[in-house]
Amino acid sequence: MESRSHRFKENAAAALANPVLQASMKKAKGKFVDKRAIAIKEIDDFEGTREAAKQLRDRVLENLDLWLEKFESNATARGATVLWAKDGEEICRHVAEIGKRHGIKKAVKSKSMLSEEAGLNQALEANGIQPVETDLGEYILQINNNEPPSHIIAPVVHKSLDEVADLFEKVHKTPRKTEIPALTREAREVLRTHFLTADMGISGGNFLVAETGSVALVTNEGNGRMVTTLPRVHVVITGIEKVIPTLEDLSTLMRLLPRSATGQSISNYVSVLTGTKAADELDGPEHLYYILVDNGRADVIGSEFQEMLRCIRCGACMNHCPVYQAIGGHAYGWVYPGPMGSVLTPLYTGLENAIDLPHAATLCNQCGVVCPVKIPLPDLLRKLREKQTDRNLRPWLERAALKAWAFVAASPTLYALGVWFGVRYLKWLAGGKASIPVLSVAPEWTRGRDFPAPEGRTFRELYAQRKQP
Amino acid sequence: MRVGLFVTCLVDLMRPRIGFAAIELLEAAGCEVVVPATQTCCGQPAWNSGDRASAAKLAKKVIAEFEGFAYVVAPSGSCADHIRNGYPGILADEPAWLARATALSSRVFELTDFLVNVAKLETLPGNFSGSVTYHDSCAGLRSLGIKAQPRALLAKLPQVSLKEMNAAEECCGFGGTFSVKFGDISAAIAEKKCNNAVATEADAIVGGDLGCLLNIEGKLRRMGDETTQVLHIAEVLTAK
Amino acid sequence: MSSREDILARVRQKLGRNETNAAVARAEIDTVLAAKAQGPRPQVDAEKSALVGRLIDKSRAYSSTVDQVATRGEAPAAIARYLIGLGLPAQAVIWPKLADLDWASAGVIVQARAAQDADLVGITGCFCAVAETGTLMLCGSVDSPAAISLLPETHIAIVPASRIVPGMEEAFALARKELGQLPRAVNFISGPSRTGDIEQTIVLGAHGPYRVHLILIDGA
Repeated sequence: MESRSHRFKENAAAALANPVLQASMKKAKGKFVDKRAIAIKEIDDFEGTREAAKQLRDRVLENLDLWLEKFESNATARGATVLWAKDGEEICRHVAEIGKRHGIKKAVKSKSMLSEEAGLNQALEANGIQPVETDLGEYILQINNNEPPSHIIAPVVHKSLDEVADLFEKVHKTPRKTEIPALTREAREVLRTHFLTADMGISGGNFLVAETGSVALVTNEGNGRMVTTLPRVHVVITGIEKVIPTLEDLSTLMRLLPRSATGQSISNYVSVLTGTKAADELDGPEHLYYILVDNGRADVIGSEFQEMLRCIRCGACMNHCPVYQAIGGHAYGWVYPGPMGSVLTPLYTGLENAIDLPHAATLCNQCGVVCPVKIPLPDLLRKLREKQTDRNLRPWLERAALKAWAFVAASPTLYALGVWFGVRYLKWLAGGKASIPVLSVAPEWTRGRDFPAPEGRTFRELYAQRKQP
Repeated sequence: MRVGLFVTCLVDLMRPRIGFAAIELLEAAGCEVVVPATQTCCGQPAWNSGDRASAAKLAKKVIAEFEGFAYVVAPSGSCADHIRNGYPGILADEPAWLARATALSSRVFELTDFLVNVAKLETLPGNFSGSVTYHDSCAGLRSLGIKAQPRALLAKLPQVSLKEMNAAEECCGFGGTFSVKFGDISAAIAEKKCNNAVATEADAIVGGDLGCLLNIEGKLRRMGDETTQVLHIAEVLTAK
Repeated sequence: MSSREDILARVRQKLGRNETNAAVARAEIDTVLAAKAQGPRPQVDAEKSALVGRLIDKSRAYSSTVDQVATRGEAPAAIARYLIGLGLPAQAVIWPKLADLDWASAGVIVQARAAQDADLVGITGCFCAVAETGTLMLCGSVDSPAAISLLPETHIAIVPASRIVPGMEEAFALARKELGQLPRAVNFISGPSRTGDIEQTIVLGAHGPYRVHLILIDGA
């Protein structure tokens, strides 16, 4: 997927001015945040479980090469073929080759963010394979001219019921329906036909279990099960960081992932899939391929950003982020929005291509406290800012202003002089009023709010006077 | 108890009365309050902007100015958190300074935390009358655990009623330099905070961090609300 | 260099991999895999009646319905009552494993085969059930094909009370013990399929079943 992250500010402005988006975001926030808060109370030792999850993810990352080999050998022993992809282009090439080998005409897909990273659908079409997104949200986006998702687990969180109703009427050429169950039923019927006629299923992977060489898939709709049960070929596309050691570790993570994501104690379907169907089995794929993807991940290993690779893609950080809640996911411009996206996008697409994202956060740490694997997201955002500074990527004026301010702040005399003038200037601007409506030194501040007037003299002046009556 | 007051740059410039209120409260708790005259800023804007060198320079300055005190108190959760939890990380590569930062760290407190848990202030000098709603600022809340302390102090004022707002723990959208880099997003977040606060119909919105309070007050006035007061907790606790 | 080698080489380089630390790490990995350490667990009373009670409560919380009968032989009649009660046809695709039950006497027409799109009712057993979350664990095999719990709009599962375990950990341990290796398809099912994609409003019956009904066998 081509990144539009360099246009973050324009994207965000458009989002703030979009009333449908604003209404949708307001509705979604209540549901995600409130439901999670209730669901985590069911766990006696939620903090202990988070810590255990963090440790088990770290355990793998610290020896990722060997865990990958372990997974690969166990998966291969069960009849799977393990392929590796350095980038999105190689993902597409692998899938096209698999398609050619097995004479594939149609691929049904359950949600895979890596397929978004790779822009896989376009590549499939170019190779004569019809891709069909089957997650309801992803399907809605696909029939809306391949619109990108705005959330990693709720892809159409930005859309209203009305928009979906209009879209279905137009694309399905059916009478307009306005009830959500009726729209869901309509999509079910359309997609059921595709499930039954597809010869390839493409899924992501929530986890790769090294112990058994399995992929764990977590879904609610059942599309993940369809995609991995009905077609004769199943392709799993997943990042190299998704390995976990054991089924016990999967059990631990399953106490966190659904609760953090949708506020469910467990998702409706947790499938642990291993190898290909036996000769006498009545269903299941004859061929199973894993495509293990780097696309920037290997370079994060061993770096100060390694903790980001613990991410289990629950979306809690964006659900709880005041910035995400205000602007939605599209503004972030690439596959992953919100705090995790603001860390991943610069790491995977280049620091210079997402210059605003690490700064697009108030560092309120709401994301850090809800993260089920304890990723210190604000710290990582701040470290990215530091990298930008080191590489002189920030605007010249900002750097100069910061340096000048730091120079002054380091000198008590200069600083006292600076604030002496500053406070008088602000007081003069206020002209006797309590607020300053336009502040030319901080136009961003006063475009949307007033700047309160200062009292008029600095604390240091008043304190010095008080001490010498 | 000899306490060094870290006034904070915003209080120095915008609301000196908060600094004086903090002194009054600390003295009421029996502390000897010293205000080092050379203090400027804790350096958090530099650190959060990715300028490690400037952040380190200012951190060293604050450490040198304040390490002689038994305690350092700031009327801001954000600045206290930065000095307490930020400095050791900033100076991690300089062992001598790291030792000094670490030695200072455990003695740095946010004002209400200090008053309740260290100085154990019993009787307040003020007698504010009216209803208030309390905004929990992010750094204080999530890094220093400031939640019960300001409420415990407010509860000591017989004529104050606390009306909790929805989502009191959510960010107001200030975020330091965020507020001037992404003004529109910042103001949109502030609007939600203001709506939640105003819905309580409290006479005053109270908080422990001036950055948040300036953001909230600025948005409130732009929204046309001229009556709801926006006050620092120290002002409320010392109001006569 | 193949992509596999390229990726692994970069990971190794980043981790500072050498022969000595590789040997140590491999030993650690073997230890971890053998230890199968568990994380913190929520309290789940493992006494049999408590497990039954919890499974029922949690299943209902996940929009499943539950019926209880004393013996396995009573399951077909209970299923017939359920189907008639909902006005559904007394006709179903079943796991071959369940073909020994007396369906004809109960008036349920069954076929033991792979599921098809036209099947309205699918009847399965389960490998075991997890009380903690009200979850069925189904293992695909030649006599328990996976799609029967997926394609039909109604999924009915026969659950012996003796097969209820406290948590997912015990379910996996049971699979290791009884099956040796994991079967191709292990599916944990908690209630009917659902989606919340449109306006985060939960709708039951997304791509899989609209309803899940448990027949708990107390004496089995």
